[in-house]
Amino acid sequence: MLQYVARRALQAVPLLFVISILVFTLIHAAPGGPLEVYLANPNVRPEDIERLRVALGLDRPLTEQYLAWLKGFVVGEWGYSFTDGRPVLDRLLERLPATLELIASAVVVAGLVALPLGVLGALRKGGWIDLTTTVVSFAGISLPVFWVGLLLQLIFAVALGWLPSSGRTSYGDGTLPDRLSHLIMPAIVLAAVHAAAWSRFLRSSMGTEVRKRFILVARARGLNERSVVWRHALRNALLPFVTVLMMDAAIMITGAVITESVFAWPGLGSLFTEALARRDYTVLMAFLMMTSTAVVFLNLAADVLYHALDPRVRVR
Amino acid sequence: MRSLEGKRATWVAGAVLLVLAAAAAAAPLLTPYLPDGIDLANRRAAPSLSHLFGTDELGRDVLTRTLFGARISLVIGLLAAAVTAMVGVTIGAVSGYVHGWIDNVLMRLTDAMLSVPRLPLLMIAAAIFEPSVSMLILLIGLVGWMETARIVRAEFLSLKERTYVEAARAVGMQPARVVVRHLLPAAAPAAVVAATLAVGRAILLESAMSFFGVGVQPPQPSLGNMLYQAQTTMSTEPWLAFFPGAFIFLTVLTVYVVGADLGARDLR
Amino acid sequence: MNTRHIQMLILTIVLCAISGLMACASDVGSRAPSNRLLVIGYDREPDLMNRFSTHILEDIHSCVIEGLTTTDENMNVIPVLATDVPTLDNGGVILRDDGGMDVTWRLRPNVTWHDGKPFTSADVKFTVEALNDPEYNPESTDGFDRIESVDTPDSLTAVVHYREIYAPYAIQFFRGTFPKHVLEGRDIDRATDYNRNPLGTGPYRVAEWRTGEYILLERVPNYWRGSEYPKIDRLMFKFVTNTNTRINQLRSGEVHVVALVPWDKARELRDIEGIALNRMVGNSYEHVTLNQREFPPFRDVRLRQALVHALDRELIVNTILDGLAPVIHGPIQPPSWAFTDDVRHYEYDPARAAALLDEAGWRDSDGDAIRDRDGEPLTFTLITQAGFAIRENVAQTMQRQFRDVGVDMQIRLIDGTAISSFWFQGDFEAMLHWWHMPADPEITLFFAKDRMPPAGRNINYIENDRLTDLLYASDRTVDLAARRELLQDAQRLLAELVPEIPLYNVTRLDAVPSNLVNFRGNPTNTGIFWNVHEWEIR
Repeated sequence: MLQYVARRALQAVPLLFVISILVFTLIHAAPGGPLEVYLANPNVRPEDIERLRVALGLDRPLTEQYLAWLKGFVVGEWGYSFTDGRPVLDRLLERLPATLELIASAVVVAGLVALPLGVLGALRKGGWIDLTTTVVSFAGISLPVFWVGLLLQLIFAVALGWLPSSGRTSYGDGTLPDRLSHLIMPAIVLAAVHAAAWSRFLRSSMGTEVRKRFILVARARGLNERSVVWRHALRNALLPFVTVLMMDAAIMITGAVITESVFAWPGLGSLFTEALARRDYTVLMAFLMMTSTAVVFLNLAADVLYHALDPRVRVR
Repeated sequence: MRSLEGKRATWVAGAVLLVLAAAAAAAPLLTPYLPDGIDLANRRAAPSLSHLFGTDELGRDVLTRTLFGARISLVIGLLAAAVTAMVGVTIGAVSGYVHGWIDNVLMRLTDAMLSVPRLPLLMIAAAIFEPSVSMLILLIGLVGWMETARIVRAEFLSLKERTYVEAARAVGMQPARVVVRHLLPAAAPAAVVAATLAVGRAILLESAMSFFGVGVQPPQPSLGNMLYQAQTTMSTEPWLAFFPGAFIFLTVLTVYVVGADLGARDLR
Repeated sequence: MNTRHIQMLILTIVLCAISGLMACASDVGSRAPSNRLLVIGYDREPDLMNRFSTHILEDIHSCVIEGLTTTDENMNVIPVLATDVPTLDNGGVILRDDGGMDVTWRLRPNVTWHDGKPFTSADVKFTVEALNDPEYNPESTDGFDRIESVDTPDSLTAVVHYREIYAPYAIQFFRGTFPKHVLEGRDIDRATDYNRNPLGTGPYRVAEWRTGEYILLERVPNYWRGSEYPKIDRLMFKFVTNTNTRINQLRSGEVHVVALVPWDKARELRDIEGIALNRMVGNSYEHVTLNQREFPPFRDVRLRQALVHALDRELIVNTILDGLAPVIHGPIQPPSWAFTDDVRHYEYDPARAAALLDEAGWRDSDGDAIRDRDGEPLTFTLITQAGFAIRENVAQTMQRQFRDVGVDMQIRLIDGTAISSFWFQGDFEAMLHWWHMPADPEITLFFAKDRMPPAGRNINYIENDRLTDLLYASDRTVDLAARRELLQDAQRLLAELVPEIPLYNVTRLDAVPSNLVNFRGNPTNTGIFWNVHEWEIR
């Protein structure tokens, strides 16, 4: 097992290298560049643009730019942001806590909702809980995040005045209730889509499991019903669920972009949106490499978890 | 409708889906208005007898635009989900059944695809291609298959060690037959869930693409770009957001019910 | 089967969530604006607080760093750190025989930087030198690169020697100056301390910048205008990029000021108690650029005139813009001293448009309702920024109105950053957009024949010798009355040529508390905070 993990971790290096070339090409192929924002100001003349192009090293051939980036990246010098001249790593790290806070809350909320609902939905197909959750979860899936987010704002912040409409705190670090009140809506919105999808997956795989022969046999043997459901069926059903969970956790890092924008959440997603609009190449590269690494390792974690949940799955 | 699964539910859902699709297909026959029939004198009108779903910022009939928009959105949603499912199932099945370097390469490819966020990907596509519906379908389909692939692979990994599969192999069944007869049907329910969810995601992704100018271009309506436009007027003209949203909701729900039944049926 | 437990579990979770919600609710309450704190909902986070390096509008910056001059709500240049605005009449400007000019700035005495050090002419000189230093990369060196040298005969006088005549000299230093004692000998691009918390002379200083959240400004104790200024203790600029969220925050009372409210959002704010919508005719204008290089038929003035006649611009502004912005007829806007309305107006007249098109040889010969000439249909594509509801609506209405006279216009939406590279390369046929126009009415950059990209912004690609001569002559004229005459001739000529279709004035709507006094607004990119020291909640 250890050997497997080590080998997969080693494989991650060339993989990330390939990803870095891919991502570098992509962001440089996008129309526009870091200098485009200056064009809005008529006082900025073509001379200024050329001067800045040379100063930022954007006049050099792409391969040369890539190699320079790679060299710096490997030794931990991730460069300076084109936007504010600060080290890229500083900019990413100061946004990380807010994003982790939001994603962790969303995963917990989504998990707490999806797990019981998925299981229950499978056991009691057609029951009122199943019916309600099916309908509600499809509302979650079929309505866009910006739409649901704004609707909640209109209800809870504008009309009722119960919750702050956006931001992470009212001021400074904020008190715990203040922070929680800011967290509620974005966490629920981010969780909604995933909770809906997760409960569907779980419901489906649970449904398959409870019909399986060994479960029937276990029941026939008179094993405790709760133990049958939770110990046997759920364990198998969790397999595909874990895949989805790990993948979604990774997706959330970039997927929180719209949620963060609607709720002015100061996380990595907002930074990414801003850097993308600005074509801040250094920030984009660092961000994408960070998320790629996260995705690669979360997927590795998923594979390891398969094994833990179902030893019959051979990992090599 | 007591249960969302079972024959009756499937028939009902199938019928609703059919009605929605037929309404979209027959849109020009069902409404006296044009989807781009601008009428500035009659803008932002609430739902009434002459405009059942109200009118939008330019006085266009929302019912008409919803039906015409649904034509494009349904095509995009269903075909893109089909692309997603085909690519995802193929890669997942191959990866899960064949051990070794092929599995490894395919899964690392999946990792790489997963780690490139869709936004820049779609934007670059906008620069390279002229926006068109077939381009949208292909693009949306190709950015979404990874989840399906990993799910199918996971199912395969767990299934193929099971007794009945091993038994089938032991009696000398061809690998292809094992896959088609035993593994695929068993993996189908999860894959179908993924595919049906992909329909909704594809429809919504088109709305996100409107933001980057790669979506369906005005004045042509799609459910996605209608919803996108409607966010500004959500507190003043909620019907602009409600009707296209309801259409998407009904579509996704009915596709799921029908799909889940089909998936489950294969297993039996 | 025991599902009851699970049901109970779900109920418990739901109840917990609701009670948590209620508990938190007590912590929130809309805070009214006061002289202790005013909260501004700001549409973006600044990149830097350094006014010369930033690329965004300098609203927040101008509360901290003051210029030698600024422009007021009537677009007049007024002195701030200078005692007066140098002109030919007051002897502050001298035209040299060699074609250059000297501008003498007299600085206000007793102005100190926030750290107590005096503000002097050495800072002015340092600023010019820093901006011309190839090692530093400011956003623009426009004007500064025409300065040969700066003399400082005494600590309160700076004489700026220009190599050539530069008409907008009066706003040369509207972005203020660098503190020499902080930045001398340093790499300003990497001077993060200054770039994020600059030393200024203004009424406020940066107390806290929470990345991604807000910038909090606090009043300085000994502001040079007197310790009674500023009246408001703290200004908090909250970064809320999503427009709908920003308006929601305003409605819920979480923010008190939102600048540049979109026209289609104004009606949501009309009935909100405590909010006043300040409407001000702006210095920018929405228009359709007609690219003569990419779509040669636009070279025919009859086609261009026909397109303007085909548009019912009054209808567009009265419906889509809810009547909040007026139709305009040229590039120089009403607030400018150079503006004239005595130019040709093109009324909505489809019949006239059809006649002009017939005359130009565009007729529908194949019966497809689209005019053609020599087998080529009259079809072009308009690009505009995606995600901008009003523009999309205006574009679609124009499409319909053009269609009514047999002209086919396709629409293509392009994302905000990419669109800049499209126009910079002149790679489009028509474009719906506006420019941020500088306070000075220089329009040479947009219409002179030698100012096509990359040398300028003449993306209509219009080549007209008389227009070019008029514009350059106006640039080289420092005398205001004479310059106005030249610019008004240019406006009249532009109205005849219609190189672009002027649509409407980009009229500012700023939402402020109704009990805020001394809010005066500003039509230019100076921003509304130029007189923030006078603002007061009563």
